[in-house]
Amino acid sequence: MNVTAGDMEAMYERAEFAKEIGSVIIMIDLTIGYTAMQSMAKWSRKNGLILHLHRAGHSTYTRQKTHGVSFRVIAKWCRLIGVDHIHAGTVVGKLEGDPRTTAGYYDTLRENFIPTNPANGIYFDQEWASMPGVLPVASGGIHAGQMHDLLNLLGEDVVLQFGGGTIGHPDGIAAGATANRVALEAMILARNEGRDYVAQGPEILKEAAKSCAPLARALDLWKDISFNYESTDTPDAVATPSH
Amino acid sequence: MRVTQGTFSYLPDLTDAQITKQIQFALDNNWPISIEYTNDPHPRNSYWEMFGLPMFDLKDAAAILGEVARARREYPDAYIKVNAYDARYGRQTTALSFIINRPATEPGFRLERQNANDRVQRYTIAAYSADTAKETRYST
Repeated sequence: MNVTAGDMEAMYERAEFAKEIGSVIIMIDLTIGYTAMQSMAKWSRKNGLILHLHRAGHSTYTRQKTHGVSFRVIAKWCRLIGVDHIHAGTVVGKLEGDPRTTAGYYDTLRENFIPTNPANGIYFDQEWASMPGVLPVASGGIHAGQMHDLLNLLGEDVVLQFGGGTIGHPDGIAAGATANRVALEAMILARNEGRDYVAQGPEILKEAAKSCAPLARALDLWKDISFNYESTDTPDAVATPSH
Repeated sequence: MRVTQGTFSYLPDLTDAQITKQIQFALDNNWPISIEYTNDPHPRNSYWEMFGLPMFDLKDAAAILGEVARARREYPDAYIKVNAYDARYGRQTTALSFIINRPATEPGFRLERQNANDRVQRYTIAAYSADTAKETRYST
């Protein structure tokens, strides 16, 4: 449940209601501001709910080269604030995202030690000691047919949120969810077996679809859907070979 | 109904050859394996019975598969899973867990409704397979 509201009192009221009806997770939007996010992080910790942060509005100040704040910095602040989830890009979905820049965000959220890597936008070593990580969320225009790319680019400690990629399934939401889960499990199985799952991704999915009609249908429906546009959100440093 | 917990539960049941490859992957990552079983597959039941201790020192996938076979012989009607634990600082959690045995028929879950204050209805589920007394639940 998104508990975002016009003031803290209304937000607390909505959060209490979410807890009362048994919700395990509440959502806030980045637009509520850092003080409010900190307060909701404290509330969630105290009340045993997971705090999911939607980065709504970030692009108004993260995608300018001349002013603003990089999303990498926002990711860092959010880890310090103590949110549990944050939307951090999909690379292959409908939201633009350069793979290296997105890797920089994911590292900032998940790793204990992040070495300097200007190509990913990491300009100095970052030591996080025991500070817990944040689970990145990939959401927006992703579907079962991209599973090999998602696993390769984003790793496995990630929330893959298929919205339209679940609800848009011609046989209904349950079939959509099954298709996504089967695609994911087939890909993890293949990777663990040592197969070159990135190159063989489409083949692995096709094999899995033989015993799963909902996946066959999903692959057929979304096979031509991709979003390939140039990202404005790129690292300032250009990767050059060091030797 | 087919219980879908852990990974690979939406795929057709894994063959022994496939299970061995997953065990090998865990060993390659330095994740010790343990085997657990239960007749109460409630999704919030994280306390399954241990089938012996975690195999911290066993690095041979074939030997671990032998333990899997032994667990299946002893508890053919139980849910049995293989877990792999990542002890690395900062992770310290189950890294891989999948069901490798299930009862021939899976009876599923019963929905229970409770009247609470102010006409609030509270719902919970209970596994039919957990209804029988614990002493008679296991088939040894």
